[in-house]
Amino acid sequence: MLTKILSAAHFGLDPTPIEVEVNVFKKGFPGFSIIGLPNKSIEEAKERVKTALINSGFDFPNLKIIVNLAPADIPKEGSLYDLPIAIGILASMEEVILPKEKSFFYGELSLDGSLRHTKGAFLLALAARHEKVKNVFVPAPSANEASVVKGVDVYPVVSLKQLITHLNGGDKIEKFKHVNYDNETENANLVEFDFSEIIGQESAKRAMTIAAAGGHNIFMQGSPGAGKTMLARAAAGILPPLSEDESLEVTKIYSLTGNIPPGGGLIRTRPFRTAHHTTSIIGLIGGGSDPHPGEISLAHNGVLFLDEFPEFSRGTLEALRQPMEDGKISVTRIAASVDFPANFMLIAASNPCPCGYLGDPKKECKCTPRMIMKYQAKLSGPLMDRIDLHINVSPVDVDKLISTKSKPQTLNSKKIREQVIRAREIQQKRFKGLKVYTNSSMKNKHIKEFCDIDKGAYLLLKQAVNTYNLSARTYFRLIKVSQTIADLAGDKKIMPNHVAEALQYRIRTSE
Amino acid sequence: MKQFNRTLGKLGEDKATEYLRKNGFEVLERNYLTKFGEIDIIAVKDNILRFVEVKLKKGDDFGTPEEMIGKNKMFQVTRISQFYLMAKPDIAKKYDQYSIDAVCVVVDENEEVERINLYENIGF
Repeated sequence: MLTKILSAAHFGLDPTPIEVEVNVFKKGFPGFSIIGLPNKSIEEAKERVKTALINSGFDFPNLKIIVNLAPADIPKEGSLYDLPIAIGILASMEEVILPKEKSFFYGELSLDGSLRHTKGAFLLALAARHEKVKNVFVPAPSANEASVVKGVDVYPVVSLKQLITHLNGGDKIEKFKHVNYDNETENANLVEFDFSEIIGQESAKRAMTIAAAGGHNIFMQGSPGAGKTMLARAAAGILPPLSEDESLEVTKIYSLTGNIPPGGGLIRTRPFRTAHHTTSIIGLIGGGSDPHPGEISLAHNGVLFLDEFPEFSRGTLEALRQPMEDGKISVTRIAASVDFPANFMLIAASNPCPCGYLGDPKKECKCTPRMIMKYQAKLSGPLMDRIDLHINVSPVDVDKLISTKSKPQTLNSKKIREQVIRAREIQQKRFKGLKVYTNSSMKNKHIKEFCDIDKGAYLLLKQAVNTYNLSARTYFRLIKVSQTIADLAGDKKIMPNHVAEALQYRIRTSE
Repeated sequence: MKQFNRTLGKLGEDKATEYLRKNGFEVLERNYLTKFGEIDIIAVKDNILRFVEVKLKKGDDFGTPEEMIGKNKMFQVTRISQFYLMAKPDIAKKYDQYSIDAVCVVVDENEEVERINLYENIGF
């Protein structure tokens, strides 16, 4: 007998409904085959389904079973088809009555017949809402993730046996009620440093505050041990929480990559991702024959921290250019072309030269001019041009470090975060209804529309462009940074002092 | 040696046939020979046409008979059974379901049966 079960596949961020057709023949040699471009993990579903059915107390039919995943021309991957295949086989054997309303079945089976946390439950629920499917049956650990989507009835399934009893009219599975999931505390542990722990570096802290407030890219240069890495890690603690819309976007990506823990729901804290300089281009940008998001997409609406920036391979760095500008990345492969959002704030840290002490007030640089040139050439003009804030982190005096006397007044992360949140609130109001969340992601037309530049400030800008030969992009970036500084100060207009501060952070060509 | 193997094989098939008959199988053919090999027993039970491979071992000191049925043997039996179905369409039509089974026999020094096991549907 032939049965059709609905489920969904994820291709990029767009879920596609998939029909799992199961046919059990009472003819010919027994066998079990899955067709419809399955990958290895689906191929292996055979053994999981077979064992899970037997261990749940059902007979596995010694008949010819054919499973077709339609539409057959989309490559499919993942362990999520275990449950629909198992239900399909049982329905074909007339051991289970399928629900009358359209329902999605989704989940990986364990050999004992229980269901495991399966990635992508959130995307499945989105697909269900889009396809007007009322019921979704998901593994219990993934139910909270799926229930974020409103208007879909989520049934948490603990085991195959429980689901069969439910479908056959026995003990009902209760509809899942969404539990507010808070990963705030979990994330707080990730923040290693507080800004108050960093002694001195007031200007760097200020720049970091501006960067966090406007989502601007920031580049730090300084000798080894000056505190660049510490500053960047502390930045994780001053990021504002995600807004509702941002949170949904981040959750989508995290659901696809399986970064949501069992029982997790919406991601509410801003992502802070670090990538080592050996990371491959595909690991960073995203890709693969079946396109997967990379680190820049995982850092969407959050921060990507690249330490030892010039150590990255040139290709990797240059690949960052386009997504930094567009806020998204299109991964095109033979199979398909997929768009992943990648609107991240870049924090990059680097030494000024291979030995690290170029320009250091105390230590001498041992590099030859050629070495320095080669090192700095890694950071190409177009790439550096896309970074709004450039700062030098100079080493702190030893006296300051060990002085036990009254500590100099310095803001802690909590206070700075409050400033940042206030500035972001202003931005949120400004860009209401637009797909823009921060000053840094404004397009030129938005600048014309929203940025109110004072006459004096405008003159100053004009002067700067003329004297320093600034590019058009730098000009607009200057306005964006000035706007953020104005937002931090709570001013409605961009004043000359805001522009003056923004000018401090502009790119330094080797003088 | 070859001669010896053949007599031993014959012994196994005899024991297996006897065993199958006792268990309600109707034996249709023995030693169905084609150019790519033979099927030891073709039998019917529960309206399912069964192709039975027989393996005999004299003592299981050198491995069990079960271990002797590998991927290649399976492939061979499957192929011959498909050949059989093509060659005899009337029989193929008579039965809807087919299966590949195995009978494993272990005998002792005096060629007395120590154990005999039937495995149904081994191709699955």
